[in-house]
Amino acid sequence: MDDPRALLQVRDLTAQFNRDGVPSRVVNGISFDIAPGEAVGFVGESGCGKSVTARAIMRLAPEGSSVAWGGRILFRGRDLLRIEEREMRDMRGRRIAMVFQDPMTSLNPVMTVGAQIDDMLCRHAGLSRRAARRRTVELLGLVGIRDPALRADDHPHQFSGGMRQRVLIAIAVSCQPDLLIADEPTTALDVTVQAQILRLLMRLGRELGMALMLITHDFGVIAGMVERVYVMHGGDIVESGEVDALFAGPQHPYTRALLAAVPRIETAGRTT
Amino acid sequence: MIRMVAVRLALTLPILLGVSIVAFVLMRALPGDFAQASAGTTAISAEALDTIRRNLGLDQPVWQQYLVWLDGALTGDLGRSFATRQPVTGELLPRLTVTAELTLIAGLMALTMGACTGLASARLRGTTDWAVRGLNSLLLAVPNFVVATLIVLLAGLYFPTVGIFNYVAFASDPLGNIASLLLPALSLALTVSVTISENTRAAVLEVSSQDYVMVARAKGLRAWTILGNYLVRNALTPVITVTGLQLAALLGGSILIETIFTIPGMGQYLFDSIANRDYPAIQAIVLVAATIVLLMNVVVDIAYARVDARVSYD
Repeated sequence: MDDPRALLQVRDLTAQFNRDGVPSRVVNGISFDIAPGEAVGFVGESGCGKSVTARAIMRLAPEGSSVAWGGRILFRGRDLLRIEEREMRDMRGRRIAMVFQDPMTSLNPVMTVGAQIDDMLCRHAGLSRRAARRRTVELLGLVGIRDPALRADDHPHQFSGGMRQRVLIAIAVSCQPDLLIADEPTTALDVTVQAQILRLLMRLGRELGMALMLITHDFGVIAGMVERVYVMHGGDIVESGEVDALFAGPQHPYTRALLAAVPRIETAGRTT
Repeated sequence: MIRMVAVRLALTLPILLGVSIVAFVLMRALPGDFAQASAGTTAISAEALDTIRRNLGLDQPVWQQYLVWLDGALTGDLGRSFATRQPVTGELLPRLTVTAELTLIAGLMALTMGACTGLASARLRGTTDWAVRGLNSLLLAVPNFVVATLIVLLAGLYFPTVGIFNYVAFASDPLGNIASLLLPALSLALTVSVTISENTRAAVLEVSSQDYVMVARAKGLRAWTILGNYLVRNALTPVITVTGLQLAALLGGSILIETIFTIPGMGQYLFDSIANRDYPAIQAIVLVAATIVLLMNVVVDIAYARVDARVSYD
């Protein structure tokens, strides 16, 4: 299990929220690895602890709540749960980036989308404003936004949901992180747009050599996208393995139930 | 945007007309008039009172008096003060600048105090939050004339060398003028800062839990960048609204404060004019105050659009 080549090694990770003095544990000591450039899926229903796991890697507690993390999160040998906040802030965005679930609320409404990529580049890549803007336009083009030089000066409300998620992906990949965490990146989007966004994520992962941690409740999203899958349930990893093997022969009853929940085209048409 | 401003400015005219009618009628509905007020307690014959009224045109029907006033007002002549027989405009202007200065200083004080305490309250939470909210409740419960009286009392007791009632004209000593307005402005600003503080606190708390702030943190941005570009800029809109509205409260409050601190401003002028039933002076003050509030609302609307690109007036 201890692979020295691993980019990320999570060992016995626990997360405990404190609600009005009553501790409630949402992640029960899970362990997993992600290799450089590897695409890994995390599947489970909402509340199973997958998003909290992602937040733990970013060391981001939700505003106004206190969460206690335990265990170790080794990223290139550094334990993210124990480094100084200053070092962690340099990691965020630069080494580990994240794409969130709802593109409609994830962009700052009073800043132009270009400025929201610029500030990231100025912070981590040390670019001047002008150089940052050149790179921003390149990045917007890279994620498939037409007329990127013009659109960079538009505000978020002038973009559709799918386009905003593309902007957020551009933000996330702007500093070429080693690990990109995508937390339900397509849940809030139209079905037709979902596939485009997933393909974009996979393409960028390959082109930029990023490892991808794809979190979803939908096995349909995982299929064909990732190499390995972890199935989470009630704060535990209940099953893991190669994605093809898992689809062919799920061992855990919860995995079987999840797979059965994926609608299939050949049966969907006949039921009515 | 320019169209919006033009439309809003055009709209102020009918509003001002309405305000002038209401003020005109209300003042004349009050018991007594200038003739009686100026006579005071001295016994005066009914014939003498009638002569004064006739000279001032007070014997005519109210609607006719209004039309005479309106005719003058439309050409920029707001009439002559009953008490001093001088043109109202000339009397009002120097007082207006004093009040405007007092209100401006008080407004800046209130905005600074309110925004800082509200922001600290929302970001630091815990003890700071408790302290700020406790202080806010206290200040809100105490009217500004009580605060002003307390300030006068305390300053008089402990700093007798500080002149409280020594208003200095701006032309003679600009710095001394500002210094002499600081305490009055503070007593005006304290109550108003509570509203700004509470609104800033609520706005920042609301913005703090927004997804884009989490994204900003996930970008690894520095705390100051997140505070300035993500938290404050988004929390600004509601704060601008209350600050604009509170300016009216400041104008109203300045009447009491100027009287307490004996500042020769519009407030004290209004107080004296009402006591004397000096209708032309009252009418002019109401008109000017209404104009200031209306213009302030237009400025607030322009500020919205500057802060938030989603606000469009086209």
